Amino acid sequence: MEVTLLLEATENAFRIMEKAREHALGILDTAVQFTGEQTRFLEEKRWQVLFAGAQRRKTRFQNFVGTAFILFGFWMLLSGHFDAFHLALGAICCTIAAYLFHDLLFANVRVGDMRVVAARFIAYIPWLIQQIVLSNLHVASVVLRPKMPIDPQIVTFKTKLETDISSVTLANSITLTPGTITMDIKDGVYYVHALDQKVAEDLNAGEMEDRVAHIFMEADHLYVQDVLDAARIYDVLRA
Amino acid sequence: MIRDSQDVIVKTLARLLMPFIIVYALYVVMHGHHSPGGGFQGGVILAAGFVLLVVSHGLEQTRKRMSEKAAYVISSIGVFIYAGIGVLCLLLGGNYLDYGKLSKLLRVTPAEARSLGILGVEIGVALAVMAVMFTIFFVIFTVGESLEDNRSGK
Repeated sequence: MEVTLLLEATENAFRIMEKAREHALGILDTAVQFTGEQTRFLEEKRWQVLFAGAQRRKTRFQNFVGTAFILFGFWMLLSGHFDAFHLALGAICCTIAAYLFHDLLFANVRVGDMRVVAARFIAYIPWLIQQIVLSNLHVASVVLRPKMPIDPQIVTFKTKLETDISSVTLANSITLTPGTITMDIKDGVYYVHALDQKVAEDLNAGEMEDRVAHIFMEADHLYVQDVLDAARIYDVLRA
Repeated sequence: MIRDSQDVIVKTLARLLMPFIIVYALYVVMHGHHSPGGGFQGGVILAAGFVLLVVSHGLEQTRKRMSEKAAYVISSIGVFIYAGIGVLCLLLGGNYLDYGKLSKLLRVTPAEARSLGILGVEIGVALAVMAVMFTIFFVIFTVGESLEDNRSGK
């Protein structure tokens, strides 16, 4: 009787040790898995950092060349001489100025292609001139009446523009069109003084802001949640 | 202590205009023989550009581009260029600042050598004037505090 009890006890002991051994093997497996993932993650990070460094140097060189070209165009505009001596002097001066100040002109460049932004900016200027002419006519018609039906008000609106260059472009465009003056920009909120109700309504419609955002390729994000919502609708439509 | 301007419009336009101011100043220096300008005028415009940077972006940001020590060195370089050209003319067998003798070195006619010599001293004058004007502005507006910081901290 004692012998069977002893045999049972040893069997239980062996079963417990088996379970402990399997448990330990499971822990070791997960540990190996985690460390494998960690090394791969570190390697990917290292490649990312190397690539980012090279990218930054390339954009700095692009900024330098772009700045030098723009400054040389400005030099040729100023100086009427186009002989070799003055052009060479201009090239040297513009290279030095671009080398010292290239990070000033293209400071917050987020998009990769400056040519698209420049082309869109040049296409925006005729529309701006048209707006200036129309606003001129409207303000003249308001001011030249004997009753002078002006209704000065301050319009505030929160902007969806992100970089400082686009904010300044919008502020200057608003100030250039007669009837509106940008007083201040604080924390992304514009404080604009408008001459009467029609001008304030034009401002609130936000067409100028949309166009400026289109120039600098901002505020046209693809929001993931919107895509997911739309995907459900597409499923229903397909079925 | 000069703080930077909090207005985004002022800061952006100042940093966009800075390279154009520098190129305009260099244009004024280089075309002294043809249009109003020359060394002094160009140097003052250069200094005005850096003062614009100080007023809009603050003292710390501008120190990264043109520290006071750099201004001292540049003023010395400007005077060195001026005096150096004069002494070079002496060494080549003429009087002090007799640019005609530079034609031996540059292999151009004496008239062209005089024009180039004047251009050279104008560049030196522009550098010296820029550095001195900037230093005067710095010293007046920091009331001499910044020098104390540099001496005691390091």
